[in-house]
Amino acid sequence: MNVKMGVDIGGLTLKNPVMTASGTFGYGEEYADYLDLDRLGAIVVKGLSLNPREGNPPSRIIETASGMLNAVGLQNVGVEEFIDKKLPYLRTIDSAIVANIFGESVEEYVKVAQILSNTEGVDALEVNISCPNVKRGGVAFGSDPVLAGEVTRAVKGVSRLPVIVKLTPNVTDITEIARSVEGAGADALSLINTLTGMSIDIEKRVPHLEHITGGLSGPAIKPVALRMVWETVSAVSIPVIGVGGIMDASDALEFLIAGARAVQIGTANFINPSVAIDIIDGIERYLSDNNFDDINNLIGTLRV
Amino acid sequence: MKPDTCATVFSQGETVKGHFLMTLKAPASFGRAIPGQFIMVRLEGGTTPFLSRPFSIYSIYSRGDDTFVEIFYKVVGKGTLAFSRLQEGDTLDILGPLGRGFDVPPSGGKIVLIAGGIGVAPLSFLAQRCGEDIPDTEIICYLGATGAEAIAGLGRLEEICSSVEVSTDDGSRGYHGPVTKLFKRDLSLYTDDTTRIYSCGPRPMLRHLQDLLKGRLCICQVSLEERMACGIGACLGCVTRIRSGGAEGSLVRVCKEGPVFDIRDVEFGE
Repeated sequence: MNVKMGVDIGGLTLKNPVMTASGTFGYGEEYADYLDLDRLGAIVVKGLSLNPREGNPPSRIIETASGMLNAVGLQNVGVEEFIDKKLPYLRTIDSAIVANIFGESVEEYVKVAQILSNTEGVDALEVNISCPNVKRGGVAFGSDPVLAGEVTRAVKGVSRLPVIVKLTPNVTDITEIARSVEGAGADALSLINTLTGMSIDIEKRVPHLEHITGGLSGPAIKPVALRMVWETVSAVSIPVIGVGGIMDASDALEFLIAGARAVQIGTANFINPSVAIDIIDGIERYLSDNNFDDINNLIGTLRV
Repeated sequence: MKPDTCATVFSQGETVKGHFLMTLKAPASFGRAIPGQFIMVRLEGGTTPFLSRPFSIYSIYSRGDDTFVEIFYKVVGKGTLAFSRLQEGDTLDILGPLGRGFDVPPSGGKIVLIAGGIGVAPLSFLAQRCGEDIPDTEIICYLGATGAEAIAGLGRLEEICSSVEVSTDDGSRGYHGPVTKLFKRDLSLYTDDTTRIYSCGPRPMLRHLQDLLKGRLCICQVSLEERMACGIGACLGCVTRIRSGGAEGSLVRVCKEGPVFDIRDVEFGE
């Protein structure tokens, strides 16, 4: 049976709902030896800032129960070098390219959005207002409904591309932020970013991470992500992209059934660099086995 | 497109206390590995341990149509403990060979290996390759350990090297003190233009070696160890500071730009 796998994310058309999450897939080229990049629904590149960022000093990662903490701190080449050195390769790939953008101020978000919006080869922007590992910007915008709306409105005002806003779970009520961002004109939401966490080396009595705290990812956070996606889907009418601890096709299907229009694969890429393809194939098999001819007929069919 | 990542444990044993030698039957593509490169290894299925673990390659060889990869490791945490319990026939996911290996020297001259503890693994592979490919080269090894019971990889090195000098921190065997001090004793015997030094071990040891070589011009490459999530350059978890790219230096990925670096480029910190 031929299953229709295409989805629409607020004006961004994907051949299938499987995206790779920002910060876990480099600029795409790192994975070229391990999977057929053309098969992906979308590649979301590492968060881009106006100027190159060195990120946080090591050590930056530590494994935790069913997951990991990271405090990379948005190390990236900066938007200009991205366009000169990384985008030409991405343009040869037959998947949607989503640029994740980051700023320390509303003005920086706007500048990055302006530059990328006028660049051939970028199909959508994902606005990162949820990084827990930087001193300024990031989660400071994402945890305040008014600031979140302000950034969204400003980026939307200069962008001709669909704007996805990536939300943090480190808030009391994610639906409040989601509604504010929707009201400010966002075309779609992606959630969740990492949960803030910590780990201590008891021999040395020091934090495992130089940054002390970091972002928790991996299967440990999947139930939290799924709950937040489900709540948010009911609270807004724009598409929601499910992110958080997806390791295989059945995890991805849970998010789709809960109402996510697409999913992003993050930490799983680290432990199996070709996992995104396995997930695409697994979703297709499930749809076929359950007599769905279009993935859109599965999305949001949770029976409660 | 998708590489074969399936390996089977061919044999495993504890050679000295807490140190395990595991031989994996691996896909043929691993046969191209060069000394200093590493592999990412993961237990299939479960989430404990969750991430893959990087291991230096200790040796690669083929027998008939089969390719074998040896890893030699010390149990230091949950991951290595889980690996140490694997038995013949168990399967693993492996990725590799990864990273930038040692520049194998031209023929002639002296090759000096300075190993601290389990840092012996990639150096032993290098010695083996040099012994096979450049037989007219003298290989001298300085091997350090905490104590006599923890001297790792000695037997194989003695077969390959012209001489192996041993040091222990507690003086229970060989020179009493750090391996770098043992090497310092002999430093004047080596001339810069005919000596190549390769080293792997704890960071304080490598920092001491860096200090010893100040003012000397001989080539010295070191292999660094860092925690990694992906091993392929994407997670940016394994960065280390390198003295280039401006006054502050720059952070580069041990998995991709390394794990082998020129010792003079590495910022070891305090």
